[in-house]
Amino acid sequence: MKRLVLGGNDAVAYAIKQSYVDVVSAYPITPQTSIIEKIASFIGKGEMDAQFIKVESEHSAMAAAMGASAAGGRVFTATSSQGLLLMHEVLHWAAGASLPIVMANANRAIAPPWSIWAEQTDSLSQRDTGWIQLYASNSQEAYDLVFLAFRLAERVKNPAMVCMDGFLVTHTKEPVAVFGEEINSFISKKETNALLDVENPIAVGALAFPNVYMPLKLEQNNRILSAKNVFYELSNEFEQISQRKYNQVYTYGEDKADVALVAMGSNAETAHLAVELLAKDGIKAKLVKVVMFRPFPKEELSKALEGVEKVVVFDRNISMGKGGIVKDEIAGALGLGNVIGVVCGLGGVDVSETDMAKVSRGVLDGKVKDDMILWGEV
Amino acid sequence: MAGELLANIYFKEGYEVQFMPSYGAERRGSPSNAYVRVDKKRVLNRYSIKAPDEIIVLNVTLLPTLLLKENGLALLNMSKELKIKKSGAKIYGVDANSIALECQLGTPAIPLVNTAMLGAYCRVSGDFSFDSLKKVYEEKMGKRAFKNIEAAEKAYERVIEI
Repeated sequence: MKRLVLGGNDAVAYAIKQSYVDVVSAYPITPQTSIIEKIASFIGKGEMDAQFIKVESEHSAMAAAMGASAAGGRVFTATSSQGLLLMHEVLHWAAGASLPIVMANANRAIAPPWSIWAEQTDSLSQRDTGWIQLYASNSQEAYDLVFLAFRLAERVKNPAMVCMDGFLVTHTKEPVAVFGEEINSFISKKETNALLDVENPIAVGALAFPNVYMPLKLEQNNRILSAKNVFYELSNEFEQISQRKYNQVYTYGEDKADVALVAMGSNAETAHLAVELLAKDGIKAKLVKVVMFRPFPKEELSKALEGVEKVVVFDRNISMGKGGIVKDEIAGALGLGNVIGVVCGLGGVDVSETDMAKVSRGVLDGKVKDDMILWGEV
Repeated sequence: MAGELLANIYFKEGYEVQFMPSYGAERRGSPSNAYVRVDKKRVLNRYSIKAPDEIIVLNVTLLPTLLLKENGLALLNMSKELKIKKSGAKIYGVDANSIALECQLGTPAIPLVNTAMLGAYCRVSGDFSFDSLKKVYEEKMGKRAFKNIEAAEKAYERVIEI
């Protein structure tokens, strides 16, 4: 294992190069483009043995990915923001057909007005498409989660997306431990079974009457739910090779904390520093980072937030007319009444540890009683 | 490019680094910033830098838009005489445009000054050895490294305190 200075996009491209991928089908969009440019260059130079399908839109990119996956290939695509939104319909088709496609999404704000900067409303709008969603908060995680995503998707027969904040992760370069051949034993295990067989033609996605439809949908729900336990198994196997441990939820700071700062993606990096700032003031704080958003890590979150007086969720996303999406999910799923949501950093606005610490202190002191939007002077 | 090279040089010297470009719809010739954070431990801040400890200015027409911490360090590409009000900051200058052209880097309209500027920065910061800079240029640029190392050497020699 050697360390290289890589951005999230570089890291994902390197992981794909090492992942025995058969087909890459993609359409460029900022800030994702450098992933597929790098992959195209690996294939062009003969460093990677895969088919690259150039398509005319993201809708087609996912449709082609479905075809290749149904034929039994290991398939990757990448997109962002408007591109992901254009894929929306096909995302449901891919998940419903139990195709283990892996996709990287560069989290970027949604137009109008045009923005190319970080926000998670794009992938959180795909919450109900049936895809596994993993969120990387730095380049190392982006790299590692690609390997885990392939194994996870193939084990549970469900597509998976690895999300990372645009620019704040995709283009921010930092040291990443990159595998040599030691990753082969982990990533070469393919469990893909071709859905299609030219000798035995079948129809996929045909009309289902209510009595057939509902049990199939329940089966699909069980399939994605099973990803939680499989993730434990795979992450143990991955740890043997990497010495890096992944959980659905990551925690940092005081075990028995008065206040928990919840974050997903790049905000979770800065939140480490907020926890340290609060500790300096004698406040027992912890960071609770959501790594797996779908399936929803209810049990792990419940454990992480147990006994905490106040929970502050920092959401770099917004559901118009409601507020932060992760906050709502946590308060709803766990039935908690002590959760304050903070919508922040939309369209790439900076979120600093001093802002996070100030808000958290305000919540703990009872000065902040309601969900709020972090904008301007804190 | 300069920011990424600089991060790699510090990394070679054993530091933890973070290179964060500030992206807009950039094209050659339009203003852009890049931030480099260097530490002994892992860098966790995921936001832009408003007032840096040290700043490398490739084009001084941007000076009015820039902030620097009190008693910070500024290295300027001074292709012409500049009137600078003395403050607590340490200010250094080097004519990187001329150096770039001497080394056939870019054109008079768009001289490529970034690799020269890092040579000057190596001298004034005293943070890393010129050898680390040279190695990173060679790794990142292959055959094209030669001219860039030459430019860095010239800037290292010619940089002055203002």
